[in-house]
Formats: sequence, C-alpha cells, structure tokens
Amino acid sequence: MVRFLVRSVVSTIITILLVSIGLFVLIEVGSGDISVKILGVFSTPEQRASYRAQLGLNAPTWQRYLDWLVGNDWRAKSRMTYPLITLKNPKTKEVEWWADVDGQATRWKMDKGELKRLVRKEDGFSKVMPAESDWIKGEGTEEFFWGVDNRNNAVKFVKGSGEEVWVLTKAGLRKQGDGPREYIPLRKGLIRGDAGLSWQYNRPVSMILKPRVRNTLVLAGVAFVVVMPLALFFGILAGINEGKLLDRIISITSLGATSTPEFVTGIFLILIFGIWLKVLPAVTMFTSSNAIFENPMMLALPVMTLTAVELGYVARMTRASMVEVMDSAYIRTAIVKGMPYWRVVFRHAIRNALMAPITIIMLHVNWLIGGVVVVEVIFGYPGLGKFIFDSAIFGDFSAIEAAAMVTVLIAIITRLIGDLAYTLLNPRVRYA
Amino acid sequence: MEIIKRKDRKDAHPYIPELKELYQKGRVTRREFLRNATLLGMSAAAAYAFISPFAPKKAMAAAMPKRGGTWKCGMSLQLIDHPARLSWTEGANVVRQVSEYLSDTGPDNITRPWLCEKWVASEDLKTWDLYIRKGVKFNDGQVMTADDVIFTMNEWLNKDVGSSMLGLLSYWGGPQNIEKVDDYHIRLHLVSPNIGVPEHLWHYPGVILPRNFEGDFIKQPVGTGPFILEEFAEGERAVLKARKDYWKMGEDGQPLPYLDKVMYISMSADAGLAAFQSGQTDVHYHPRPSDYLALKDNPMAKILTVDSSYCYPIRMRVDLPPWDDNRVRTALKLCQDRKKTLQLAAYGLGKLAIDAHISPAHPAYCEKPIPAYNPKKAKELLQAYASEKGLKLPLKVKLATKNDEAEPEIAQTLKQTALAGGFDIKLDITEAGGYWDRWTEVDLGITSWTHRSIATMVLPLAYTKESIGAWNETRWYDDEFSALLKDAEAQLDVEKRRSIMCKLEDIMQERGPIALSYWVQIMEIVNKRVHGMEAHPTHMHTTLRSTWLDG
Repeated sequence: MVRFLVRSVVSTIITILLVSIGLFVLIEVGSGDISVKILGVFSTPEQRASYRAQLGLNAPTWQRYLDWLVGNDWRAKSRMTYPLITLKNPKTKEVEWWADVDGQATRWKMDKGELKRLVRKEDGFSKVMPAESDWIKGEGTEEFFWGVDNRNNAVKFVKGSGEEVWVLTKAGLRKQGDGPREYIPLRKGLIRGDAGLSWQYNRPVSMILKPRVRNTLVLAGVAFVVVMPLALFFGILAGINEGKLLDRIISITSLGATSTPEFVTGIFLILIFGIWLKVLPAVTMFTSSNAIFENPMMLALPVMTLTAVELGYVARMTRASMVEVMDSAYIRTAIVKGMPYWRVVFRHAIRNALMAPITIIMLHVNWLIGGVVVVEVIFGYPGLGKFIFDSAIFGDFSAIEAAAMVTVLIAIITRLIGDLAYTLLNPRVRYA
Repeated sequence: MEIIKRKDRKDAHPYIPELKELYQKGRVTRREFLRNATLLGMSAAAAYAFISPFAPKKAMAAAMPKRGGTWKCGMSLQLIDHPARLSWTEGANVVRQVSEYLSDTGPDNITRPWLCEKWVASEDLKTWDLYIRKGVKFNDGQVMTADDVIFTMNEWLNKDVGSSMLGLLSYWGGPQNIEKVDDYHIRLHLVSPNIGVPEHLWHYPGVILPRNFEGDFIKQPVGTGPFILEEFAEGERAVLKARKDYWKMGEDGQPLPYLDKVMYISMSADAGLAAFQSGQTDVHYHPRPSDYLALKDNPMAKILTVDSSYCYPIRMRVDLPPWDDNRVRTALKLCQDRKKTLQLAAYGLGKLAIDAHISPAHPAYCEKPIPAYNPKKAKELLQAYASEKGLKLPLKVKLATKNDEAEPEIAQTLKQTALAGGFDIKLDITEAGGYWDRWTEVDLGITSWTHRSIATMVLPLAYTKESIGAWNETRWYDDEFSALLKDAEAQLDVEKRRSIMCKLEDIMQERGPIALSYWVQIMEIVNKRVHGMEAHPTHMHTTLRSTWLDG
C-alpha cells in the first residue's frame, strides 16, 4: 500500500510537470501578442515593446518557464547590491518585493536623472530619500544600479541614461522618462507556492483563484451528492427489473435527459422555475462573497441541470453492469439454492456491478470541476471552468497554468480514491 | 416678462437677454434656449420658468415616493483606483453614487449646477466664477469647501495622476489659473474662451474628492453623494448603502436617497437577461437589440429611451480608389434605404440621419430633409465613373466591420439595397477585436462612434487634417469645412452657430466621407416597480438618488 501511494505521488508530479510544459508550449504557440490584449489594439508597436520588456517577455522561452516553476529571485539576487525580501501589503494582503537595506525595506526610482530610495513606512506607503550614493561603477564610465521598482520587478537603472518607458495606468498608457534598462519580474515560482501574477486582472493568481475553486467545489460537491446515489439507485433498479416497464421508463427518461445538452436543459429550467413559476432564483447572483451559503437555493437550478446530464450516464452504466452480473452463473446459483432475492442482490450482485460505474463516476468528478463552463455561463456562476476559459481566451499564462494544476491535482486525487474504492469492493484487486 | 426681469441679476451673463429675445422670436428652440442659458449661469428653474411662465409647476407625481428596498443591476465591474482616472461607464456608475460633480447634465442634456450653487461667466467667457454649495458634508463628516474642490481640480491637472480631464481642460492653462476667492467661491481664469466649462465639470472622472484623498477610491470611498460604498469586489459586485445625512431632500422632506441599498452584480449579458426576467434584478443594463425583442412585451418591464448621437457611419477612405472619387461616394450614400436599415438593424428605434456626423441630439443642429433611397441616380453616377476608368458594373467593393453591435444588419441591408445602384458588396465581418485592429486602415468599413454631447467635440476628432494618423479613419478633410469648424467652436451666438452647422452639414452631405442611416436610441430596461429612473444618452445611472421602488 505504501509503495502504491509513493508511486502515485511520483506519477502525479510527473503528470503535473508534463501538463504544465504542454500548456506552456500551447500558449506560446497559440496565443498572439499578449501586450496587444493588455494594452488594447490602439497601442503602438513602441508601447507594446516597452510593455513586453516590463513583463519580462524578452527572455527566452525556457527561462520564462523556469522562472514560473522555480522562481527567479535567485537570478536577480546575484546582481543586486542588497538582499531581496517579501512583505505583505497591509491593505491588499498581496505579497510585495522589497530590498533589505540595513533592516529597512526599500525600493528605488529614478527621478530627473537622480536615483531615489523609497523607504517603506509602517502603513505600507513609502517616503522618498536621495540615493545617489547607491550607483555602482560599471565598465568604462557607465554607472548602474540593480534595485527593486514599485511594481515588483528587479530593475537595472543606468545613470544618465533613463529609458523612455510606457507605463499602464487606468487612464491608459503614459510615457515616463527615467525608466530602467532591464527588468526581471520577481516571483518565487510555483514549487515555492507562488502561482504568479494574472495579466488579465493584474493581481496574484492565487488570490483570484481561491474563491473560484471554492465555488466550484461547492457546486460540484452538491451535484455529486445529489446525482450519484440517485443514479446508482435507478441504475440498480432498472438492472434488476430488466425488460420490465420500470426498466423501460428509467432507461428512456435517463437517455432523454442525458442526450439533451446542458444549455438546453439549463435554459428550460430557468424559463420554467425562474421566470414562469418564479419559485427558484433564475441565476446565481453573488450579492455577497458567501452568497452560496447564505442563499443555498440559488444552487438548485445549476444542480438540477447537472443532475439531468449526469444521471443518465451513470444510471445506464450501472444498469448495464447490473444486468451483466445478474446474468452470471454465481447469481443464478445463489437464487437457485433458495437464497432470498434481496440478499442476492445486495450481498453478491451490487458489489461486482459497481466496478464499472465507479470509473465513470470518478472521471465525471473531473468534468464537474473544470468542464462545466456552459452551466457556469448560463447561470452566471463564478466557477473554475469559466475562469479557465476566460484565461485561455486572454492568453493569461499564469492563470491557466495555476488553474490547470488544480484540475490535474483533482483528477489524480479522484483516481486515487477510485482505486481505493476498487480494493474495498473487490478484494481480488490489490495494489502491491 | 415682468417676472423674469425681476429675476435677472446683474451677475447674469449679458448674452442671456439676447438669448431670450431669440427664443421669443422663435429663432432658437426651447431646448437650445434651456441648454445655453443654463450653461451661461441662468438657473434651470428660471430658464424653465421663462419658456413656460404660465405652465403649472410640474404636475404632481401620481404617487409619493416610497422609501426602502434594494435596487439591483447586473453590470460588469472592473478595477477602480483614482476616480480622476476613470475610463469606463460602469466604474463611473459606482463612483457617482458615492461622490458627486460640480454640475449635473440631466437626461434632457441640460446642465444644471450641483455641488456648485451657481456659476457666472464673464462676457468674453474667459473668467468663470464658481460658487460652491454651502453645508454639504462628505460621508466622513468633513464639510466640503473650496479647498476640496481646488484639491480635486489639481488632481485633474496633475500629470502624475493621468486623468482624461487633463486633455479636456487644456484651455484652463494649468492649476495656477484657479483662484480661491473665499471658502465657497472659486474663479477660473481660462487661457481661451469656452462655453463648455459646466459641461466639462460633469465629465465622468470629475467627481469632487476630499482634500486628504490619497489616490485609491476603494480604500478611501469618501464623497458627498447619497450612498456609501460598503463593498467593492472587482469582477463580482459593488454594494452601496444609503447615507442618512445627504444634503438634498426628497419629496417627503427627508434626506434622499429613497433606496436603502444599491447593488451592482457582475454577470454576463445572457445571465443578466435571465436574472431580469425572473425579477432578481431591477435593471437590465445596456440591452442589446435582441434583449429588447425578448423584453418588449414582458408585462413587468418598462422601457426608457432617449435620443443620442451614438451612430454607425459607413465610412469611405478618400485616399484610395474608388472612394477618392466623390461620384462613387455619393452613389453609395444614395444606395442607403434608411428606413429599412433602421427597421432591420434597430427595430425602428432611432432617428433617421443625413450623411453628416452631426446629430439632432446636438445643440444647434440644422434640420435637413432625409435623403431618399435612389438607386437609379446612384447607378448613373457609377456608370459615369466606370466608363471613365474603363471598369464594368457592378463595381466590386469589400465592406469591413465588426459583429458585436448592429453593424452586421446594417452591412447586410446595404448589400441588398446597393445591388440596384450598381455596387457588388462583399462583406468582411469579424469579431470586434479583429475590426479594431484595422479600423483606420480598411477602405470601406462601418465603425461605431459613441455619443458626444456636442458636435464640435466629435468633428475635430475625425474630419480634420490634424487628426489624420489618429482617429481620422477616412483621411478626409476640407479647408472650408475646417475653417467653419473653428468658427463654430468659438461661436456663442446660437443662431450663428446653427448657420455654420447648416454649412458643415451641407459640405459633409455633398462631398463628405461617410454614409449614415440612423442615430441610435439609448435604452434602459427597468422593472415596473422602479420609479424615478431615466435613460441617459451616456448610459450613466445619474438619477439613483431619487429612484424608488414600489413593491
């Protein structure tokens, strides 16, 4: 068992790495110039180039992948005069990079050709101090300095040669003189728990992703708890009544529900219960961040939609499996030897009949987590599927990668649970 | 006019008596009179009293406003930081409930004083006196004085803040031209005369901030407005709570607002439609034409509309053949069946247009007959052009546009109606981003242009020599047109301004670069229980302070 678990963990890590590389390549090939998406189509090539430099997109592909995976602060550290530290912003709770100058958190900027220190105060704001003495002599007459700017980049300033840079503000792009020559957008890397910055929202991915994952887990969890017992129950019922009226009714209904796409089911449910009868909330309106707990009724229609789609799959799979088992010799033997029918079904048939549905169920957990985009869009549900979709459209690299890591992790955990369930149901299956 | 004369004060603008005379002679319309008189400092009440001195005071509302309730609206929400940097309507809709402007441009397009009690312009329009309303408190208890207003103006004019007010107010000449006369009186010394000051003070980034504002509205949502920001989560929701000590009183003698809470919830357009239909939200924000169809017969929906200068000109690049020849341009203009286009693209909601980017919603618009659909004449013109160039009819051209608004319908209609005129139009319709990538480059295209309250704000953007390389997508300019436009910008006299507009419209119709079928009607679809809301040409929610819910 221990060996089995170790093997699972190792294969999980390899799978995650492969998925992340695969996604990285796809994004690299598939999405266009990200700076156009961020800056808008009216930006000029010069502005885009400046912005790409600030995002660190000029680095080679492999380096950007490594930066994302293991971070790049060690790379910046070797160039900087002062050690790097991370601090939490007291208001936004976002992690910020600073340099430690004799115990004082410091950043730098160049203003009218002069280097200035921004020394952090208690409240998270900073005061400006002169820092002309920080310049370091380089080759020839060049004087330079590697510091941290106020957008979490390690930057290289060159004395007397400030770059004209384009900075993105809410009022659009603005040109600033005295910019740095080189940028390293600082990050710790995924393996040290930093999922990077979302380009689309300009906030750390982990902060945006968390509520999405929670919402999705709640929806998927409720749907799972509703669908699976129902599906197994109807599947078994149909299976042991093969060919009878009850079987026909269950089979036809579940086939109908499953073959209707979820956007049709969803819209009909909205029309009937939300707009016509007005008994259930038509869409999930998050009037507060905990709205799903305050008003759980708004989950009713999305769960009903997912139930309609899911029920049929699992029920039909269970039915088929049940029919097969009920046909087998040992069941016939048990019945013939006079064992009570219900005991045959519960003690002997079900355990064997559940093997196949469990595979399906576990695969569908994953679909419930990341693949219910359509349901999320119809009901306006802020979940993970929609997040992945939007990020992919935008080409938001860190966001897609992080979200994909979550789904891969869930896929692997459910596979593990599925495997364990097999061993419980069928003692012949043992993992060495 | 005895009553009015008594109301005239010596500080009123000297042009006002003349304006009154023009109005009495019927040479300026009622609306133009109101608009210009209020801009020059006449109070809206006095202006309205002047145009209808014997009319009863506004008919009593059928019902007294009720208090309480939560007003909900589905609308997308993006990041907000410094209000002076606002660049989108949705953000302004949230901020404007908490903070307020010096002036207030109503749904009737008339600008009234708001946080300013009144303003007085000098005769040459270069000195403006702004009198700040007394007794207005910010929601943190501070009293608003000229210091707060001057602090805010400095933020607008500060390059580091990056406000779009900076460009708009370039004629202010910088912060040194703002003079504090006393605690409630500010004098602006403009570099060049401008009648638009009150209107510009209502530009949506222009809310008045407290003097200790540090730059992030979400962290410091302090304003004089009727609501307090309770929660703002970008991409999710904004929750606003009524404030108890707002300075303006409601009809029941108690402070506004009537509503307890205002909630904006971020959702997609389709989910928003379902939420509205089920009664979960009270307003369907920014309805698409298909939403209008879905909701127009819904017994619980009330449709509010207002005319605007939002439009979809079919624009032709005059530096490329065949559009460099005015006969071809005129032929295409003649090929528009405007009524049909309006019907097919906007279900008949809107106003028919002439081929000039000057709208009846603009003041001093000069009324012109709507040109008829005339494919026969178009064909004659095209025939002449074609035989000269050795081409054969039909003339093959490609029309590019985007698909996120009414453009595909306009393009399809034109394709049909222009066939008889000798054009064979191939359509090249892409998603919005695809068109915005090349909107200034395509030779024939349909571009959407947003509402601007005056014609002299839009014409210099797209139809002058200086704007080539920026927003002049057609490369068209005309010396006579440009000279007239300069005159119009500096012209105070409404009648003279209109006569200039007449000429500008004639030039654009005769040799201009655009064909235009209709002006969009801005629509707001609200639940019947919502009262006191009005549609605004800018799509802004400007009247929530006096909105109330019945049931």
